[in-house]
Amino acid sequence: MTDKDLSPQMPFRLNRRQLVSGMASIGLLAGAVLRPAAAQKRIPIPEGDFAPVPIAIPNFAAGTPSDGDVGAGVTQVITNNLRRSGLFAPIDQAAYLEKAVNFDAVPQFNNWKTINAQALVTGRMTRQPDGRLKAEFRLWDVATGQPLAGQQYFTQPENWRRISHIISDQIYERMTGEKGYFDSRVVFVDETGSKERRVKRLALMDQDGANVRYLTRGSDLVLTPRFSPSTQEITYMEFGQGDPRVYLLNIETGQREIVGNFPGMTFSPRFSPDGQRVIMSLQQGGNSNLFAMDLRSKSTTRLTDTPAIDTSPSYSPDGSRICFESDRGGKPQIYVMGASGGQAQRISFGEGNYSTPVWSPRGDYIAFTKQGGGQFSIGIIKPDGSGERILTSGFHNEGPTFAPNGRVLMFFRDPGGNGGPSLFSVDISGRFEQRVPTPGFASDPAWSPLLS
Amino acid sequence: MTAEATSESNGRPGLKGKIDKTIIASVLLHVLVFGWMMLSFSTKAYVMPDEDVVAVDVVSADQLSKAMAGTKTGDKKNPKPLVEKVAEAKPPVEDAVGKITEKPPVVTDTTPPPQPKPIEKPVEKKPDPPKPVAEAKPKEEPKPVEKKPETPDPIAEAIKKEEKKPPKPVTEAAKPPPQPPKPKAERTFDQTKIAALLDKRDPSRAPVTGDTINSNAALGTAKGSAADNSATWGAMFRQQVERCWKKPYGGIESQNPEAAFSIRLKRDGTLEAMPVPDGTPATPYLKVYQESALRAIIECQPYNLPAAYFEEWKFFAPVFTERRG
Repeated sequence: MTDKDLSPQMPFRLNRRQLVSGMASIGLLAGAVLRPAAAQKRIPIPEGDFAPVPIAIPNFAAGTPSDGDVGAGVTQVITNNLRRSGLFAPIDQAAYLEKAVNFDAVPQFNNWKTINAQALVTGRMTRQPDGRLKAEFRLWDVATGQPLAGQQYFTQPENWRRISHIISDQIYERMTGEKGYFDSRVVFVDETGSKERRVKRLALMDQDGANVRYLTRGSDLVLTPRFSPSTQEITYMEFGQGDPRVYLLNIETGQREIVGNFPGMTFSPRFSPDGQRVIMSLQQGGNSNLFAMDLRSKSTTRLTDTPAIDTSPSYSPDGSRICFESDRGGKPQIYVMGASGGQAQRISFGEGNYSTPVWSPRGDYIAFTKQGGGQFSIGIIKPDGSGERILTSGFHNEGPTFAPNGRVLMFFRDPGGNGGPSLFSVDISGRFEQRVPTPGFASDPAWSPLLS
Repeated sequence: MTAEATSESNGRPGLKGKIDKTIIASVLLHVLVFGWMMLSFSTKAYVMPDEDVVAVDVVSADQLSKAMAGTKTGDKKNPKPLVEKVAEAKPPVEDAVGKITEKPPVVTDTTPPPQPKPIEKPVEKKPDPPKPVAEAKPKEEPKPVEKKPETPDPIAEAIKKEEKKPPKPVTEAAKPPPQPPKPKAERTFDQTKIAALLDKRDPSRAPVTGDTINSNAALGTAKGSAADNSATWGAMFRQQVERCWKKPYGGIESQNPEAAFSIRLKRDGTLEAMPVPDGTPATPYLKVYQESALRAIIECQPYNLPAAYFEEWKFFAPVFTERRG
């Protein structure tokens, strides 16, 4: 830059720019300095940390003398659900000033303020003359004394656990603003026996570990069970006589059928969101490709045609796209593709191998297993490839599945050695990791949609 | 942007090259300056106003803050002794003044009291009891325009009365004086005439009034609000309410929630009424966020805040927020 630039045109140009910039700066100055005087002083409170809500849940009252047990049971299930979510801190009943609350009356809030409860749940169970069970609950805001939620349910007595989960979901939704996930089930592979002669059976249970029942006898090896959106069917893979095949199992009737009749091995099946199709990978020769089969017409569509191994597909919740695992780039990575095939885009670029992708029911994240540096990690990533975060690392974590509200993940961890795998759950923020109780060893979990 | 030095003799293209460099440098500098200004002003907007350094006077906090607030029309100079309030048309005062002005006023700065006694007497009545005349405010050093040994009593009474009265805002009495007694010039002090100079009227018990408002009013700070102590009690409130606040779990996406309330506190730090939320939350999470903040405000009372600043914290707006300024 020289000093001698005395073109007659320059001052004009600069002046105009200067004028505009000057006016802009005056505007900025004016905007910044001339703040209207507030009516009263605003005090910002910026340092709040997330903390679980202290909640008091006294035993549900017994509508008839024989309802005491079911009242206590319902209370226990609700308390357990809320505590395990990590977002609530149920106060120990021993600290309550009032143990038996009159359900019909407005509570004495001072009794609950004293023990620092911010929310209070009251309820009652009443066996009806016609044999049904009536369940009522109310959720109260202790500070303002306002009722926040309340509901009444009628059901068969044996469904008291489901009612507890439904009430838990109501409380969860009202206090967090999120959809709940307690009224759901998990299908998994139950493993028993020694390591050399492991017996694997399909098992179904409530998300809190209760009500376990076995769906197969264990004579054949079963893998990758997955729920249908209608929740009455499960698809899974079984190693029977000959090649492993994908099966459909109706939970209620117990009926079983083979999905398609393919030459070659079929793996990792999953339902489409509308429940009409099953997508799976078919191995032929040295590679495997993705196929979708319409359950009614039985017609199949080839979705990928590469010499690579394409497997573990999962639909987006709107059914328009699928994510899957492919090693077409050399190592296993996650790809996203239109649901009817076509160009696939790689979205994982970190260090390591990415496998078992599964799309969240909210559509905002894809969970995966990542293997690298001797560690197995469970992580999530956005469908466009950004925002990758690892939720847990160790040996050996695998097979994530989303809860119906997309906020919690379940996966299995095999510590190696002579033991066996167990199920764990973790929040998508990486918090609240805890073990899910199962009768024996367990692996390959899949979370159902909400039952209600 | 080319780096080659084109000579001016090339004509237009060369000039253009040079202009480009300079303009680009100029624009860059402007961007830097404005960028700095934008940043510095945007942070300034969230800074509490500076606490003004105040001369130590024995005054109430209210009076002080009102004085510091200032008026935009305030003069910077105080050319003449002034009062707080302009004389109002009050019958007793007027009568008193009227009585005096019936007689021809003889007051001048320099003339000695006129010799003829009859004239003196009415003049004597006239003496300016400091009341209707400009007198300094009680909070300043009382400077009566004339020193009269006997008049301290009415003065003292007037001062006491003045102190008891709630201090009126400085801008309030910006009215032209209806009937100001003009004479406030000094009078020569005649010791022999003390008795004659005694004010025989009853103390008027009127507020100190005068000619023009004592505009000690300064321009005040740019923000236009009183210098206050919100940095102190605000931090105390914040610390106390955060103990109770169970902020709801917002997931891993930043949602930038904010919940503002208006609250009224009593002297003992308890809420006078339910906090009033500011606005309706647009999403379920914002609703839950607002509710959790409301619970926190209610649960954490009574608030232990300095009694000296009660006038400031009896009514304010806590804002629970994730937004970073």
